[in-house]
Amino acid sequence: MPEKRLLFKNIDVPGIDGIEVYEQHGGYQSLRKAVLDMTPDAVLQEVMTSNLRGRGGAGFPTGRKWSFLPKDGRTRYLVCNGDESEPGTCKDQEIIYRIPHLLIEGVLASAYAIGAEDAFIYLRGEFKTGYAVLERAIAEARAKGYVGDNVLGSGKRIEITLYLGAGAYICGEETALLESLEGKRGNPRLKPPFPATAGLYGMPTVVNNVETLSAVVPIIEMGGAEYAKLGTERSAGTKLFSVSGNVKRPGNYEVELGKVTLRELLYDIAGGPPDGHEFKAVIPGGSSVPFLTPDTFDTPLDYESLQAAGTMLGSGGVIVLDDRACIAGSTLRLMEFYRHESCGKCTPCREGTMWLNQILQRIESGEGRPGDLETLEDLCSNIDGQTFCPLGDAAIGALRSGLKLFHDEFEAHITKGGCPMGEVVR
Amino acid sequence: MNAENLAKANDLLHRFPKKSSALIPLLHLVEDEFGYIPEAEVQVVADLMRVTPAYVEGVLTFYTLFHRQPTGKYLIQVCRGLSCQLNGADELSRFLYEELGVQRSGTTADGLFTVEEVECIALCKNAPAVQINLDFYPNVTKEQLRSFLDKAAKEVRSGA
Repeated sequence: MPEKRLLFKNIDVPGIDGIEVYEQHGGYQSLRKAVLDMTPDAVLQEVMTSNLRGRGGAGFPTGRKWSFLPKDGRTRYLVCNGDESEPGTCKDQEIIYRIPHLLIEGVLASAYAIGAEDAFIYLRGEFKTGYAVLERAIAEARAKGYVGDNVLGSGKRIEITLYLGAGAYICGEETALLESLEGKRGNPRLKPPFPATAGLYGMPTVVNNVETLSAVVPIIEMGGAEYAKLGTERSAGTKLFSVSGNVKRPGNYEVELGKVTLRELLYDIAGGPPDGHEFKAVIPGGSSVPFLTPDTFDTPLDYESLQAAGTMLGSGGVIVLDDRACIAGSTLRLMEFYRHESCGKCTPCREGTMWLNQILQRIESGEGRPGDLETLEDLCSNIDGQTFCPLGDAAIGALRSGLKLFHDEFEAHITKGGCPMGEVVR
Repeated sequence: MNAENLAKANDLLHRFPKKSSALIPLLHLVEDEFGYIPEAEVQVVADLMRVTPAYVEGVLTFYTLFHRQPTGKYLIQVCRGLSCQLNGADELSRFLYEELGVQRSGTTADGLFTVEEVECIALCKNAPAVQINLDFYPNVTKEQLRSFLDKAAKEVRSGA
């Protein structure tokens, strides 16, 4: 089965980043329907029925997340997480830069559903151009009466404020993002309390990923029940997969969850390995999840199947390694990343990523010692589940599975005193 | 800060439901104007926010896009995310270091170029990717980088 485009339906239409063309292709009809014909609760109900799950990585049911907001009359906030920084993931970037009005419409409809007058879109600092794209799009939406004090004449006020981060992966974690949005260091908060009860400025807050909020638009358009028919029972709808690394046609592809196998995505959609090479391993859900090897490529792409295969769907960032890639070198590269991005708040992550990095460094450079692989495993088990936020667990996902699946390759680095792959990929 | 940015800064102080949120946008203004965050500006920002300079330092040092040292007119950031590395990112950085005679995170003597290796910039499908002053350069080749360097140097020499 090929791609199934809901979010990307009109992405190739020239001028779709402008409001006129977006409207000509049905744009802002979902917002109209929501604000003019539906109660906020009815919109929430559609999202609940749709079985939409968070597309940022954790896969938490979106409707349920919204329903956690206490009904206590306090100011509520909606925060859109556009901090896309998970290595291998570049899907939100494409939505922001190419179909900004889809995101804005999704943010507005979702803010309406949860009763938030103020919505924030937090973008990673590198999306400076994306910030300008959204700024222009919001101005267009304001001129049309979609944003502001009186949305579509309904008397409802919904304002969108853009916020630019400044280079910190950890700010993709929702409580770290809220800290950053409050103008602080992006250290994750201890949970509970969860943002639903004490989020931005201590107020009830929903934080959703760019792709998640964009998906609210087709859900309102087609109805939650229809959306839920796409995909599988527990993994409903479509999902964007960013395919990158050693592959012929890297790109962002939207497919129905559970209806396409990893093999079909890699070969039929993304064109297979570069000529003369074979696939060696894949990280299917952004750099934080365990490797899969070609013997498991027939796994369908949905939350449950990938979990059963020992990995995770995560953000949908599919990083592909072919036979030239060194697994030890690649896990070192990823560990350098996590060490750099660890916020330093809790010890297992701060110290653990430093030690893992150091040991991987010496293994890759030929100075590995007997017992190093056991020490790596020991360090991983001391990080696993021991940290405030998921960064610690994320840091060990690929390494741990790499040690298991490619043990001989790591071992060879130590016994042969260097990388057996030469310097091809590191 | 120059007058234009000071006016923007005063706007920012009132843009958010709570004033504290203005800090990072203010630091962006400074970074954009100076190419880094000078010591004196830390005090300016602290005064605007009514917090201590130490607090401002604490926040700004958390974020990699805020620099403590001056950067070149062109800040060249080579993505070294795994997907870019699998597609030759290391070669691009090596090329830039050799071509410009600088070390990692170094700036050329004429103050024109700074080269940094940065973590994933979310252009994985266009690997290898580079950003120059935060403008994206997807699927970059050494040849493209060379012509960028030549063009930039020429413009500066001709007094542009």
